[in-house]
Amino acid sequence: MRSDNLRERAELAVQGSIRKSRLHRHPYTISLMNEGLRAGLLTSQELMRIQNGFMQILQELIQRHTRGESTSVTTDTAENILASVMYAADAYLFSFEQPERAITYLKAIDIRQVYTRGVEKVSQCYEQSKQLYKEIRATKLDVPVDAYNMTIDESLPIFLRKYGIIFDAHHTMASIDYPLAMDDMNLQGVYYIRQYLERLKLENTFCAMYDPQALLNLLTDYGRVCRFDYRIELYNMYELVLSQAVFSVMSGGDALDVRLSENQYLRLEQQLTALTEAGIRSAVTEAIVSLQRHLAIESQHKEYMDGCTDELVQRVAHAAKHNSLRTVILTEKEAVAKSIVISFSEADRMSDAELRSLLHEVMSCDRAEEKVRLILTRFKSFHDYLDMLESDCLYGDEYVLLFEAFGNTELAILAKIVFYEELRGESLDMTGILEQDNDYPMEWQKQFASSLRGMKQRLLAIDKLIDEIDYDQITFY
Amino acid sequence: MYVSRIFNSLQESVQEQYRMELLELNERTKEYGLMLTPQDVDRLLAARTEVLYSYGRVELSMEVTKELIDVFSTSPFIEQETYADTMNELHEIFYDLKNETEDRIGDRQLLHRMKEWFDADCEGSLDLLKGKLDQYAEKFRRELTKKETLHEGGDDQCDLTI
Repeated sequence: MRSDNLRERAELAVQGSIRKSRLHRHPYTISLMNEGLRAGLLTSQELMRIQNGFMQILQELIQRHTRGESTSVTTDTAENILASVMYAADAYLFSFEQPERAITYLKAIDIRQVYTRGVEKVSQCYEQSKQLYKEIRATKLDVPVDAYNMTIDESLPIFLRKYGIIFDAHHTMASIDYPLAMDDMNLQGVYYIRQYLERLKLENTFCAMYDPQALLNLLTDYGRVCRFDYRIELYNMYELVLSQAVFSVMSGGDALDVRLSENQYLRLEQQLTALTEAGIRSAVTEAIVSLQRHLAIESQHKEYMDGCTDELVQRVAHAAKHNSLRTVILTEKEAVAKSIVISFSEADRMSDAELRSLLHEVMSCDRAEEKVRLILTRFKSFHDYLDMLESDCLYGDEYVLLFEAFGNTELAILAKIVFYEELRGESLDMTGILEQDNDYPMEWQKQFASSLRGMKQRLLAIDKLIDEIDYDQITFY
Repeated sequence: MYVSRIFNSLQESVQEQYRMELLELNERTKEYGLMLTPQDVDRLLAARTEVLYSYGRVELSMEVTKELIDVFSTSPFIEQETYADTMNELHEIFYDLKNETEDRIGDRQLLHRMKEWFDADCEGSLDLLKGKLDQYAEKFRRELTKKETLHEGGDDQCDLTI
């Protein structure tokens, strides 16, 4: 009997409390209302009153949206406005530490007040985001990474200028391409943007502690290891710098050093391949703690950095297990001096009129050898070479003749452009790539692949050059 | 989101109020010999809900229905026998036209244009009115597209300063 009473009391306690796991960040208010009803903290009459309150706000906003010209709107518009209303309500109700208190508040006061206070919260968040953006601009890294620059210079200002607190509060209307080391996609609207900016600021501050040239060199090394153009790819720089700094600390180097010598790499390889995943975790964590102490990292940043530990540990453990630590631990490599005869300078480009006239001259040549001689002697800039190839001024075997006349370096550069996707991150060599049945958008690319297939003896040397030439040495777009 | 559910529950809770508001309009329309019975009103409300749903629209008041009754009850082409059915059809024509003109024209302006053509050009024929309004909406959209094409690009030329 006594145990029955106890069980009953325990069940009542469960029924009377909110299960936080059932609450969502968006839409918070609706999940709160549903949970309140389930837990018996809200009656269906109270729920109806709350819903009616929101509907009245919606009705007024529809009028405002149509400037009093129309009493009806499309379902899409109504849903959008209602989502914006609920976003404001979420902003206010989520600020209560205890959801039960938020329900008490919902029951006790006019819904209009919940909405008004929510709008105030959203406005504050918007103002904070604008301030944070100014700070981001001031701490922006000077790196030629397109996604990073576009996000800061274009996408974020567009969001901040176009954000609508009343009708579009829940929208995150921005094409933010630059990925953070840790992103919380559960957030929407300006709360997402504020969090993005806060995190980006931490990342900027951290990366700015390192020598700018060392950072640029690291990016180049990273592009080389991944066999892609680091300027146009989507990846996070903070993660890269952090992992290199951690490896530096782990191999006896400085916390402010991101370039590792071959000896440091060998030491790390020996150490990491001998450890279990738990051992790697412990070593990485220890290095992060040491780095945080050495660089006097403040608490909010520490928390963020700690959040990145898991990902780093997993990457290292996976690479150690599969003998691919070189893809995770980047070592310094000297850029190989190459005898490139083609100029990459924009200044050496011909004018459009000059190019047209020269292409006309090429096309009027009767003999293929004559065409090739003309091209090799008169074209100097890489841009002009690409324009010439894209102009379809050559036919069939003429391409073969021209490509055979090119040096290995020129062929390697063209291969890096034509086979960008195939080379990116893959371990395929040229022979493997050429064996694939690829579709080429342009005739010269098809002819190029076919010509390379006929140069079996040169492929090994071209492969080597492909690895040595960095994309930032080629400006082709 | 539970938007549709919330909309519907709200509509149900004020249905009786809407019913009363529409029946009260009989006081004004009876001078034109037009009256809606409580059954007519129920059918009208049901038809309106159906039309709003099928045309993907939301309206949280009865203003359009009341205005339709007010404006069209003065038409010499509407008679008591067909009054309720005509009102049902006019609802459909109106919300269709709202969609086809992409919500760019206010309720009042549309209703008065409909009434003007219904009385003058169409002499009370709903089929003729539909045809006329189809042409009107098409022309309106064509001009809208032309105008938007002329202004294209303006929106993207953004000022990056905040």
